[in-house]
Amino acid sequence: MSEKIYAFLLRLFPAHFREAYREEALQLFRDRYRDENGLFRRLRLWLDLAADLVISLPREYFHPQPELAGAAAHEHLRGTPSFYVSGDELPRPGALILGGVLSLGALVAVSILLGHGGSRGPLRASARQRLLSTEARSSAIGRAGPQSDDATEGEAVVSGLSARSASAETAPSAATLATKATIPSNSLSDPPLTTVSSASSQPQDLQSQFRQPRDTASTKIAATVDSAPLNAAEQQRVIAGVIANLKKYYVYPDVAQKMADALTAHEKSGDYHSAMGGRAFADLLTRQVRAVSQDLHLEVVYSTTPLPEHPMGPTAEGLALYRKAMEEENCTFEKAEILPHNIGYLKLNSFPDTSVCQAKAAAVMASLNDVDAIIFDLRDNRGGFPDMVMMISSYLFDHPEYMYSPRENTSEGSWTRSPVPGNKLADKPVYVLISARTFSGAEHFSYDLKMLKRGTLVGETTGGATDVGAFHRIDDHFGIGIRETRGINPYAEPDWAVTGVAPDVKVKAEDALEAAIKLADSKLRKK
Amino acid sequence: MPKRKLDPLPSAAFHILLSLADEDLHGYGIMRHVAEQTDGRMRLGPGTLYSSIRSLLDAKLIEELDRREDARLGEERRRYYRLTSAGRKLARSEAERLADLLRVARSKKILRGSYV
Repeated sequence: MSEKIYAFLLRLFPAHFREAYREEALQLFRDRYRDENGLFRRLRLWLDLAADLVISLPREYFHPQPELAGAAAHEHLRGTPSFYVSGDELPRPGALILGGVLSLGALVAVSILLGHGGSRGPLRASARQRLLSTEARSSAIGRAGPQSDDATEGEAVVSGLSARSASAETAPSAATLATKATIPSNSLSDPPLTTVSSASSQPQDLQSQFRQPRDTASTKIAATVDSAPLNAAEQQRVIAGVIANLKKYYVYPDVAQKMADALTAHEKSGDYHSAMGGRAFADLLTRQVRAVSQDLHLEVVYSTTPLPEHPMGPTAEGLALYRKAMEEENCTFEKAEILPHNIGYLKLNSFPDTSVCQAKAAAVMASLNDVDAIIFDLRDNRGGFPDMVMMISSYLFDHPEYMYSPRENTSEGSWTRSPVPGNKLADKPVYVLISARTFSGAEHFSYDLKMLKRGTLVGETTGGATDVGAFHRIDDHFGIGIRETRGINPYAEPDWAVTGVAPDVKVKAEDALEAAIKLADSKLRKK
Repeated sequence: MPKRKLDPLPSAAFHILLSLADEDLHGYGIMRHVAEQTDGRMRLGPGTLYSSIRSLLDAKLIEELDRREDARLGEERRRYYRLTSAGRKLARSEAERLADLLRVARSKKILRGSYV
């Protein structure tokens, strides 16, 4: 009966309210009616409802979108402080017009400020604008990765006999796009530029070998272009070359000797049959030296086309090309935006050279400075320059933190340059989206954040780049990648080489963003 | 003009935001929480409650979740609401504003007490 009376009273409300909340209002009435027994409570209930009608009915009718009721009528003073907020009167028309004019003025002023660069605000704003403008184009960057992986065009060139160990960990994909050249994942710091300039004339499929056994697409293609079988003399020469390089460059001489002994023993016992093609032979040698050394950052490589005898150093032309590519592709920062619930989202498709992209990276990070959580999307990130890995990581800590890299000894370069002045991200939750295409420098970033428990990795196990460090030519077709220095891994071997970095939360790569947003949401709610 | 409706934040809306700070609640749950946190002084009626909820939803300060049952209240499925991070921020800044007001009141000797 009571419910019927209240249902009848509800008909006094306008239709838009009844459509949206009639059931809920009745439900609430039933709940209260059930819980509030006794004469006094029932009386109070009806008084409340009457007061509620008196307050909310006019509002519902006067404003098509209902006002937030002050509800002050229900609140009684009992000598304790109460605060009333008077936001219920409609402003006068004059005030509305003035407000409108002022807002327009402010809007115009802000857009003028954005257009004419100043120091802080405009830098950030223009970064945002450029991000937006390149968004469409950058989707092409994402596609560049897989194309080059397939090695169908076989563009990669080995150079990389130069020495520095801190180096580009894999080809920046934008350079790939711009020059039709990819860079072997393990070539050294300057070689990316070298290879860019010399690549187009020397197609090779070496890239696919560097790209790991897990990369089935490239392996398949590789099989079809494998060379004619090697004869015994050729095999012997390659083995001698491998042994010589190991003895000369491998960081532990005793292990180098053991590997040499093993190879010699295999040779003597006739393990290398004559029908073997170049690639299969290189793979076999790789497995054999790894079996002895347990070092996954070691790889014998076969190239169908001749390796250059004297790889060129970095050229001005190469640097200019790279710079141009980075400018065109927004330094591979494909997207930086703030998602609902103030979650920052950064899609980064390589870790570009800081000498070219430092300002861009700083601007992008600044644009995300106020978020409550941040998601790094590295699902299409094929790696890049350790300096950029360290630069981005620096934002995530409030003190210098050691970031392990397989090719760095404990050195200054292995410590983040934290804290970054003005940065607020150091204590914000971090999520990293990874996929089987996440590679090299991106694995460096993911692996260390995981090990430092600074980030939650969401997605699929990463590609597992070997990051061998230095490449040494043996002959026209064979070479060997050897890690010259050995980073001290505080988390014990193996790192990500070959096996990849496993996610903390395993989901399909395409579902990773959604999953990370959910994780961030629930984390922020618990705060 | 949703802006005007929530700025300044009406006390009903503020109480609703506070009630959702710890857990997701349905309408009746919000009403009870608000009554509890005001020692029974504020009992939101359905009209006030749901028009406030609608304004808060419009301003994305809270969000609506899928309907589900509340085991303690029978088998009826209820709409649940959740505080968004924007809502949490707004509630925090409103609380700070009130705390400032309280400090002023204390400095004017209207209210006794050494600190907020």
